[in-house]
Amino acid sequence: MSQRAANRRIRLLGAALALVLAVALARAGWIQVVRASSLAQLADAQQTRTIPVLAPRGVIFDRNDGELATNEDSITISADPRLVKSAAAESRRAAMVLGLDQQGEAALLSALSDRSKGFVYVARQAPVAKAGQLKRMKLAGFDYTTEPKRIYPQGKLAAQTIGFAGVDNKGLTGLELEYDHSLIGRDGKQTVVKDPAGSVIDVRSTTYEKPGADLTLTIDNTIQLYVQQVLAATRKSSQAASASAVVLDPRTGEVLAMATVPSYNANDTSNTAEQLHRDRAITDAYEPGSTFKLVTVAGALSDGVVSPQTTFTLPYSIRVADRNIHDSHLRPTERLSVSQILTQSSNVGAVRISQRLGSQRLVQWIKRFGFGETTGIDFPSESRGIVKPLDKWYGSDAGTIPIGQGIAVTPIQLAAAYAAVANKGVWLQPHFVERIGSKQAPAPKRRRVVTSAVAEQLMTMFGSVVDKGTGTEAEIPNYSVAGKTGTAQKADSSGGYSTSKYVASFVGIVPASDPRLVILITVDEPQGAIWGGSVAAPAFKEIALDCLRYLEVPPDRPS
Amino acid sequence: MLETARPLGTPLAKTRELPLAIVLRQVDWLLVIGIAALVGYGLWAVAGVTGHEVPGQPHYYLAKQELYTGVGAVMFLLAAAFHPDLYRRYWRALYVVAILTLLLVPLLGVAKRGSRRWLQIGSFQFQPSEFAKVLVVLALAGFLAERGRALRDRSTVIGVLILVAIPTALVFMQPDFGTALVYAAVTASVLLIAGTRWLHLGTLVAATLIGAALLVWILPALGVQVLRPYQTQRLTGFIHPSFDPNHATYNVAQSKVALGAGGLHGRGTIGSTQTVLGFLPENHTDFIFAAIGEEHGFVGTSILLALYLFVVWRGLRALAGAGDGYGAVVIGGIVATMVFQVFVNVGMTMGIAPITGIPLPLVSVGGSSLIANLAALGVLIGVQMRGEGARGRLK
Repeated sequence: MSQRAANRRIRLLGAALALVLAVALARAGWIQVVRASSLAQLADAQQTRTIPVLAPRGVIFDRNDGELATNEDSITISADPRLVKSAAAESRRAAMVLGLDQQGEAALLSALSDRSKGFVYVARQAPVAKAGQLKRMKLAGFDYTTEPKRIYPQGKLAAQTIGFAGVDNKGLTGLELEYDHSLIGRDGKQTVVKDPAGSVIDVRSTTYEKPGADLTLTIDNTIQLYVQQVLAATRKSSQAASASAVVLDPRTGEVLAMATVPSYNANDTSNTAEQLHRDRAITDAYEPGSTFKLVTVAGALSDGVVSPQTTFTLPYSIRVADRNIHDSHLRPTERLSVSQILTQSSNVGAVRISQRLGSQRLVQWIKRFGFGETTGIDFPSESRGIVKPLDKWYGSDAGTIPIGQGIAVTPIQLAAAYAAVANKGVWLQPHFVERIGSKQAPAPKRRRVVTSAVAEQLMTMFGSVVDKGTGTEAEIPNYSVAGKTGTAQKADSSGGYSTSKYVASFVGIVPASDPRLVILITVDEPQGAIWGGSVAAPAFKEIALDCLRYLEVPPDRPS
Repeated sequence: MLETARPLGTPLAKTRELPLAIVLRQVDWLLVIGIAALVGYGLWAVAGVTGHEVPGQPHYYLAKQELYTGVGAVMFLLAAAFHPDLYRRYWRALYVVAILTLLLVPLLGVAKRGSRRWLQIGSFQFQPSEFAKVLVVLALAGFLAERGRALRDRSTVIGVLILVAIPTALVFMQPDFGTALVYAAVTASVLLIAGTRWLHLGTLVAATLIGAALLVWILPALGVQVLRPYQTQRLTGFIHPSFDPNHATYNVAQSKVALGAGGLHGRGTIGSTQTVLGFLPENHTDFIFAAIGEEHGFVGTSILLALYLFVVWRGLRALAGAGDGYGAVVIGGIVATMVFQVFVNVGMTMGIAPITGIPLPLVSVGGSSLIANLAALGVLIGVQMRGEGARGRLK
């Protein structure tokens, strides 16, 4: 081999070796310069994780700072099926600790076996103790995060009004839903650095969570408890399908209590029928019957077509279009004043008053008292009731609507109407919330419905209802009570009225001389006695007695 | 030059040791500086990469590596001090030592992560295949030097192949496919420098390619498994990076992410999360190049590659100035060994070479590799300073 050939081979080797290094350099340049940013993102994506820091929901207090809804720590258990060693063994042990049934265990096993997923829930919002027990077993791939869980320390108390929040801590019904945006707060987040095993080793940045605002309600737990106890007893003794009550402070429009029985335990919503969740005093309209005569009489008085002393000659029954309208108890034809018409709850009398007022003006008064419109109470899915416009009236409507048939109202609408009378003619928007966080709730809407003179006349007439009329069972010793009974047949499926299904109701104002409470009781489908005066009035009396004592309201009619 | 100066196969001349003064003047100081710079760069890089590796002991690996560097420096000086004619004369002994230590591995070796590559001596673990690399180069050069007029015969090529086949087979069984690959590349380089006929060289290269294809694709397709499945996957993973059912190329993916995250200027020793958090596996041994890339960026990696290139350049100058064909083959073999180790290692971290367990010469933490590479470079210097080129400069 010549010198030249040898040198050529050296150069060839040199070139080959230099080429090899140049390829490496070029590749390094490609990765580190051209593809740098996308690879850097990959690095960041696998090393950092942003995890939410859940903000606790605001606490809901009654007006005396009693907790109605609050939070406790719970542990949400999740797993990464790809890190699970033995799905069978781990699901068995987890099911044992968590007390899952066979079906739950099978579901867990299939979730843990699905290696296409990196995240599955094992149990959401599990009790801290059970989660701790599971954690000590050191099951592979399991992860534990603390999560606030909504609890309702009072269980059934005001359950439909408070509503409840779901497992995601979002309000689903009631005030939890209505005030969700205030209660929910703002979740914080934490960007953490994780090592390849997934453990957090550093916190890079934290946005602190902002806890939700607390709600202070106008509800009074004590009154609410009285109401629920009395309602439950009333429902039991009258074998009614359900019973509802609204307690308003007529001076402010505050709802002091609102209840429907049967109720449910807010801590165990999944096992209760959904219809029990409704706050029926707001969401459900019913045909009110005689309590609606308030509108007819108030309108006639205000428009000057009658005075309390105006008398009518009234037969037992009159015919309006295709219907006979008669009073509840057979009686001979007699002369009754407006006041007596109310006291005895004469249907024929109310129709006569209405005829003098005229349907057109009756419709205006219905509207003025707030029927057919929502009250705007701070509660979701309020019903407007059913009020037909005048051009949709037919035949007997002119005879039935003045006595509260062929029209549907909600208990809150009716209670607010009576509260307006109690409040010297000024209607106040009913409401549940006194304070949101540290902010006072806005003042309730108000509007004058009748003059204070008319309101006073009405109060006197409603007073005689209790003193000597249909509502005597609502009488309370040492206190003046004003009120009105109502007994309404329920519409049946055939379009007529049922002869066995009634809604018995009573709305009362106490003390009548300086009203503090307006209490409306409705009893749905009582068996046996069906009269508002005998089914609902006693319930009113019991509640009012408890409340007056509790609120230390001085007697206004010492015996 | 190889022919005229002292062709391979000429009888041994009388070995005459050089006085220290002349040594100091004849040594290629640029080459020594280049080697020292590489070692220094390696120590600096190791300090950065391993500073967080052992909690509370930021210098755990650095101290070890400094110790190895000290031992390596002594080996470097010793290797340079011996006259190359000694290696040449006793090439059989060197070869036998290499084969025997490699044979001891399967008998007495320590297994780590599925391969048996280490011998335990006291508290030290020693990796014979690292030392075998330089010993095999010396043996091949010695064998070629003895072939004399038969140098360009087919029988010489066959002899070289047999000499290489034995250690290659031994490391292959460890299994250490990477070192086996390096042996193949080094054999080709040695034969090139020795003056093997192009026909023979070409045939060898073709046979190697066909053999590789058989090993990796054709035989498995016929149902014969020579490589273990994980080996095939590692070897072919860089061709199909997305086909990775068992995460065989997880390391490479993380390595590329680390390099890319480093970008042009690097993220420093604190911000290099891939390395510090342990996403990058083997970050101070096999994948140290990626760790350097993350911490010091493209600037850091290109300086490192430039240093290797510089050493290669000085090495090839020494090759051209070697006193004889034997020296030339030794230098060629040693330089090629280093370059191919660099390429297989660096290429692996960047997804253009198979995944093997080859350390980055002079940089990766590891005593055997560092000491063996420094010894090999010592042999190179020993040849260089006694070569024609060195003597020429003296005049």
